[in-house]
Amino acid sequence: MTKTVTLAHGAGGRQTSELIDEVFKAHFANPDLTADDAAVLMPPVGKMAMSTDGFIVSPAFFPGGNIGKLSICGTVNDLACMGAKPLYLSCAFVIEEGYPMEKLEEIAAAMEKTAKEAGVRIVSGDTKVAGKGQVDGVFITTTGIGEILPGIATSGEAARPGDAIIVTGDIGRHGCTVLLERENFGIETDITSDCAPLWGTVEAVLNATKDVHVIRDATRGGVGTVLYEVAEQSRAGIQLDSSAIPVDDQVRGVCGMLGLEPLYLACEGRMVIMAPKDRAEKILAVLKTCPYSSDAAIIGEVTEEHPGKVVLTTEIGTKTILAQPGGEMLPRIC
Amino acid sequence: MCVGLSARVVKVQDGMALVDAGGARREISAQMLSELEPGDYVMVHAGIAIAKITAEDEEETDELMEELF
Amino acid sequence: METKTRKTAREIIESYDGAPIRIMEVCGTHTHEIFRLGLRNILPKNVELISGPGCPVCVTPVSFIDEARMLVLEKGVTVCSFGDLIRVPGTHGNLADARAEGGKVQIVYAPMDAVDYARENPEEQVVFLSVGFETTTPACCLAVDQARKQGITNFSLLTANKTMPSAYRALKDSVDVYLYPGHVNAITGTKLCEDLAKEEGISGVVAGFTARELLTALAAAILYHQKGEPFFFNAYPRVVTPEGSVNARKMMDQYMEDYDCEWRGLGVIPQSGRRLRSEYGEYDARIKYNLPPMEGRENKACRCGEVLQGKCLPVDCPCFGKACTPQHPVGACMVSNEGACSAYYQYGGNLL
Repeated sequence: MTKTVTLAHGAGGRQTSELIDEVFKAHFANPDLTADDAAVLMPPVGKMAMSTDGFIVSPAFFPGGNIGKLSICGTVNDLACMGAKPLYLSCAFVIEEGYPMEKLEEIAAAMEKTAKEAGVRIVSGDTKVAGKGQVDGVFITTTGIGEILPGIATSGEAARPGDAIIVTGDIGRHGCTVLLERENFGIETDITSDCAPLWGTVEAVLNATKDVHVIRDATRGGVGTVLYEVAEQSRAGIQLDSSAIPVDDQVRGVCGMLGLEPLYLACEGRMVIMAPKDRAEKILAVLKTCPYSSDAAIIGEVTEEHPGKVVLTTEIGTKTILAQPGGEMLPRIC
Repeated sequence: MCVGLSARVVKVQDGMALVDAGGARREISAQMLSELEPGDYVMVHAGIAIAKITAEDEEETDELMEELF
Repeated sequence: METKTRKTAREIIESYDGAPIRIMEVCGTHTHEIFRLGLRNILPKNVELISGPGCPVCVTPVSFIDEARMLVLEKGVTVCSFGDLIRVPGTHGNLADARAEGGKVQIVYAPMDAVDYARENPEEQVVFLSVGFETTTPACCLAVDQARKQGITNFSLLTANKTMPSAYRALKDSVDVYLYPGHVNAITGTKLCEDLAKEEGISGVVAGFTARELLTALAAAILYHQKGEPFFFNAYPRVVTPEGSVNARKMMDQYMEDYDCEWRGLGVIPQSGRRLRSEYGEYDARIKYNLPPMEGRENKACRCGEVLQGKCLPVDCPCFGKACTPQHPVGACMVSNEGACSAYYQYGGNLL
């Protein structure tokens, strides 16, 4: 096969089949992966969840993962938020002409590995090749279907005063990693993306208790944005203890240099969970035994006061409203 | 006006200093300060060390409160 | 024991019930930290905190953004900037819009990084947007110094640097005590502020940025003010020394000179700006690219100028929270995270 992806690979002829066979099928092979126009599948027994997400991360390769791993985690985690065991995924690639085949192979390999870990099957795919400069490297869209566990009804509207707020690990690592890789800030760190498939984590929590009100993955916009969304949807207040929020020292250092707020940095492997306070310790104990959530922490609670707002208790015990970010996260000097 | 970050000096060479803040490292200019050695703490702004830090804020404020009375 | 009966800084602030005091925090990072720490919520009624003009982004005039946009869009220059400036509105749009229109706008952490960028991209013409007060200006001058030493010719500055002392004088009637910007004093030292107290009756306290430092500085402001005499107090001695950074001032004086300069919302303040000396004209983007004089148009309804002078609160402005939000700023004070309007919008409009 050629060393780079050409327009011919997207033209539907022999070279397209070659690309599909040698790169995608080689990695995604499973009994449900279709060679026809659509996958034929058995529907789940109970309720099902479906989610779609597009991935355009730049750079496509970063410490702790790549766009392939991310494209599986993103959709799997979205399904997991609804208490859905991920069953099937489709994936559509838009590839820039001239993209190195080796890199594409690496992306497909990461997708295979992550899908396997998440227990999900890639059943359908599509490949398009766009002219040079029309896309930046590779864009991937994944769509997933999952089976909601019986008795689970999580929703951003379901937060109730008295719920404890749990975050499943230290925050902001993905956003920080990608920012430092993309921009030339001259800052050296050992920070890696938190990108991870979290169905196993969520399943462990739901096996311990079905009494969980909200599960949200804190992706773009970070934990802060998720909390504001839930405060709005549930018409409740969010009270956070700033000293309880787990942040890696290096992430804190970078945020200090660039004047950024860790609560607004993206995560790709962190859930925000809200559940009645009397379940919180049990959930935390379970999380601490799971691979991606050993730093899980209770960071606050849902309140009746200040509906729609996120209120922080500061290091000196005063209370203040968490500022909402204005648009794009920009490093600042002032 | 000026986001400042306190950082520990790791290395000084040719007017530049490598500083460490919680493990995040960056080269900055040490030219604005006359004497700088590894182990010193500095206040960093926009890629330069603007001042050497002589104490923790706790120690500093305790002493100031003494002075105020 | 006497230490037992002594009040903490916070107790001094919270229990103050004397005559009203107006304290102006000049530094935008102070404004930001004061909100972040919820300090306004513990102030008694008779202590008023006014957010002053100490955010270099907020006082940068509209015409500066227009110049930067012209460089990007018409002169084909790559503009390197601190992130803060990207969303500041010019007459016809901001730099983010210019980027969306195909212009090259690069965000950097330090002015020196813009020099590195110029060296690595010799086919591009690179201009650094040189804003900031005494804290930031040395870094801008250092960038020119590095470019000269490395023989880099595709690098220049578009300057809007400013100095604080004339602003202290211009606003003194709106204020009883200044909280001086600690990191400016780290460079300038404290003599000037001592003289302001002695010779011109302008009082102030140099403040640091942690919770303890801000509380201590506010307590000092209250205690000294009650004595009735003009005063100066350095409440940030771990960073600010009386002499400041001699090297930094030397660097600034070598490359830059004072001139009468426009502050957004405040108008022209004599000798309050810094620009490159004429012998470094090849590093001055205005000369290098022959920029025409520009007259930026501000939004008429915007009251940023009065906000910066402490004459009105952000919430008194007809644009505040309506036409003007952090997502769509009209005035500069809404742009920067540390701008008074932005801080009020995010924390103050809905004080607990």
